[in-house]
Amino acid sequence: MKQKLSAIQEALNGVLLGKEGQVQLALACLLARGHLLIEDLPGMGKTLLSHALARVLGLSYNRIQFTSDVLPSDIIGTSIFDRELGEFRFVEGPLFAQVVLADEINRATPKSQSALLEAMEERQVTVEGESRALPEPFFVIATQNPSTQTGTFPLPESQLDRFLMRIELGYPDPEAERELLKGGDRRKSLGLLQPLSDLETLAALQTAVDDIKVSDPLIEYIQRLVAFSRRGAEFAFGLSPRGSLALLQSARAWALLQDRSHVVPEDVQAVLPAVVDHRLRESADFAGHGGGALAQKLLTSVDVVG
Amino acid sequence: MASAETGTSTGKAATGVAYQIPRNSLALLMIAQVAVVLPYLLQLSPWIVAVGLFCGMWRTNVYLGRWDYPQRWVKALLVVACLLAVGISGVGAFSLEATASLLIAAFALKLIEMKSRRDAYVVIFLGYFAIATQFLFDQTILMAAYQLVAFMLVTAAMVGMNQRQTRVRPALSLKLAGALVLQALPLTLIIFLLFPRMAPLWTVPLPGAGKMGLQETVRPGDIASLTQSDELAFRAVVNGRVPPPNQLYWRGLVYSDFEAGSWRAAERRRAASEPLTEPGDLAYEVLLEPTMQTWLYTLENSTSEDPGIYRTVDGRLESREPVLSVFRYRAIRHDRSGDAEPLSDSMRTRETAIDPGANPRIQEHGRALLDEQGSAVGMVRAVLAEIQQGPYRYTLSPPQYPGRDSIDDFWFEGRAGFCAHYASAFVYLLRSAGIPARMVGGYLGGEVNPITGHLMVRQYDAHAWAEFFDPALGWVRVDPTAAVAPERVERGLSAALSSEDRASLSLFTAARLGEWDVAADLLRWADSLEHRWNLWVVGYDSHYQSRFLKDLLGEVTPSRIGLAILVGGVVSLGFVAMVMFWGRRPVQRHPVEKAFRDFSDKLAGFGYPRRPEESPSAFVRRVAHQVGLAEAQIGGLVAELDTLLYNPAVAWGQRELRALRSQLRRLQFRLAFGTTR
Repeated sequence: MKQKLSAIQEALNGVLLGKEGQVQLALACLLARGHLLIEDLPGMGKTLLSHALARVLGLSYNRIQFTSDVLPSDIIGTSIFDRELGEFRFVEGPLFAQVVLADEINRATPKSQSALLEAMEERQVTVEGESRALPEPFFVIATQNPSTQTGTFPLPESQLDRFLMRIELGYPDPEAERELLKGGDRRKSLGLLQPLSDLETLAALQTAVDDIKVSDPLIEYIQRLVAFSRRGAEFAFGLSPRGSLALLQSARAWALLQDRSHVVPEDVQAVLPAVVDHRLRESADFAGHGGGALAQKLLTSVDVVG
Repeated sequence: MASAETGTSTGKAATGVAYQIPRNSLALLMIAQVAVVLPYLLQLSPWIVAVGLFCGMWRTNVYLGRWDYPQRWVKALLVVACLLAVGISGVGAFSLEATASLLIAAFALKLIEMKSRRDAYVVIFLGYFAIATQFLFDQTILMAAYQLVAFMLVTAAMVGMNQRQTRVRPALSLKLAGALVLQALPLTLIIFLLFPRMAPLWTVPLPGAGKMGLQETVRPGDIASLTQSDELAFRAVVNGRVPPPNQLYWRGLVYSDFEAGSWRAAERRRAASEPLTEPGDLAYEVLLEPTMQTWLYTLENSTSEDPGIYRTVDGRLESREPVLSVFRYRAIRHDRSGDAEPLSDSMRTRETAIDPGANPRIQEHGRALLDEQGSAVGMVRAVLAEIQQGPYRYTLSPPQYPGRDSIDDFWFEGRAGFCAHYASAFVYLLRSAGIPARMVGGYLGGEVNPITGHLMVRQYDAHAWAEFFDPALGWVRVDPTAAVAPERVERGLSAALSSEDRASLSLFTAARLGEWDVAADLLRWADSLEHRWNLWVVGYDSHYQSRFLKDLLGEVTPSRIGLAILVGGVVSLGFVAMVMFWGRRPVQRHPVEKAFRDFSDKLAGFGYPRRPEESPSAFVRRVAHQVGLAEAQIGGLVAELDTLLYNPAVAWGQRELRALRSQLRRLQFRLAFGTTR
């Protein structure tokens, strides 16, 4: 299992150069059965990462490009009258895939956004009164442009909360960029990627995440973190119970990636920014969400040892 | 719109934003103000409440941004109007009501005037003052509990004044205020107990409103009206066994003068003779409810050594000052039988005076009886027998006996009356025969509260009886009511009432007289609470305090009092500090975490502080790296720390913990050695 995980990481790092940390986080997010939000400027490799993830894990993959005129039926699917059968037939939309890449999700209107977000939570959609289960496993990898850019509808806190993690890719370092420039388009190498895993392996990995042990002192550490976010004056609001669960589950997945049978504080600290940034808001910051400083504040203020 | 603009512009000119009252604390302040003023509704005239409501409405509209602050002349007009209203309301220019009315009116008017923080603080301090003032009117435990809440509200308003503008949390400031008040309680208690009660520099004129109770002038029908009231007259604590009700004749007033159908008690002279020398047979303590009068209620032949109390010629106790709040005095009943002081001539004249023109039939009857019996004692016996055997009736609602010959009408025609009718006729009969006699007003009996064992005497226990003078026996008590309604004397009012009398009683009186058991129990419980309150708080005056201080300190000197207050203050504050410390004590630590924390605290002392985000293993690794220890030397420790703390799959016990401790100590020693070198 260890070899499999490192092989997967290696393959991903071969596609997305110089982003080992982010790749690991994205993988941990999927292992923890969470949806992933990637936020960055256009052209930083968001789509590439999500595509590569789906390929390497051997999952079916659909991409939805969100624009301001995308409608819910464009995502979920719609019923069409079939002349030959003489009845209505449901044509599945792009949502029916194991990995859905929702590209530039904050360019769509709230109505379309919420169609996707409902599916994320329930893992099923309801069309014309009939509930349809989505494929298993079901991951949404959404990308979004920074909300300061024009033509965006920022996701509300309630919907942001459904993403287990939010990561930023950032500019590559010069070395990686030089290699990128020499090697040409990375999308070509995407086509060369071989599936390294199948559904059973993925399910086994996810179960292994659930089996990672957690000790009382660590639980107390997470509780101290959450309590600090609820009490501190610089926090507009604290972390929800869903947030603390997300933190623990992500830390477990991270521990599995480190090949450890139990969670240590470093695991929590490694995933903390990705897990809590989009769930927090500074009390001085009424409009947007600039959680980066808050995650640092949490890290440096809360004592690991009780 | 225009007015709103001028309002903001003048507001800005007068006060900067920083000095403005935060809106959330303004709301709290107004609530606190209402809470403070509310109890004054019972004492002050309603127009002041109307002023308060008017100002409150105005201020609320200012708060909502609809109205502007009033113009200067409007405020001036209001002030003058309030002053005038207090002046013409007829409570007396310097009475307590007048001053309290002014205080509350000013308190209300400040509502429409306060703009800056400074004004708000003035209102807050006025609020505290008004709370203190209310205790001049009412010192019951219920009021004290209410004022504690009001006190918390005012304090919360003050806390709110210091909250940040952006953080609106009234519940938080209430909580903080509650905590502050609770923390202040122990010190309050110490100061209450120990701080010397100084005599007031001036006396506050206290409310003279008519209270229920016995009056100096009484018509025989008046006492019956008192039975409609269940108001408390006094509570008494008797040392030892409580005597049966028929011995509990609480004397209050001696009515010696009879004129035009009403009796008057006018004797105030101090007894010239020595205090009673016979041994005391019953010690008791009375907690008299405010009567606004000077007379006190005692058993017969009682003396008191409390200051401010003297014994009168007619054997009663009087206070030098009117009883304005619960008044507490101790007295001793003396066993006095068969020893008579001679009656002075002036007293004899007074106690035998009758109007020769009125009530001719009873005068005639009295003289005839004396001729028949020959002695005063014989005559008393004959009169009582006549009442007992004649068609006389005891009732709460007797017919009216108006006119000059009211006693004749009662004795020969109506033959139905209340205690005062019988006592008054009895005295008149004896006086007609030249025997000195007088009517005594007071209370008979009382109910024993089973919880605290004290006696409760209520207005419906009011009673009137007679005393006659026998040269051999002195003044002898005779209760003619006992002849017509012995149950009244033996078992209290309830037993003597007919069913229609009973039906006319008020709800509470009926409950007290034991019609409903549960209600009676509840009332008794409330009464025992109030009694303890009176005993320990209200009745703890300078007199009792000096006794308490003497017990506590031996000799009472200023330095000793100061020392006691200091010690008490330190102890009470220490108690509060301990409670707070206990609340913040760290929760039970994980043993490994505790061991590690001890270690990291030591290391911080050597100059290796741990950053909070550093996990134990990371910290050990960093420090080891800093001093140049090889990974191999600490690898075992790091792994051990990690396992014991974070791997629940590995079981460990005391042995592993000890091993870890010794490893930590070794590293610590090595580091200490390294740094000292």
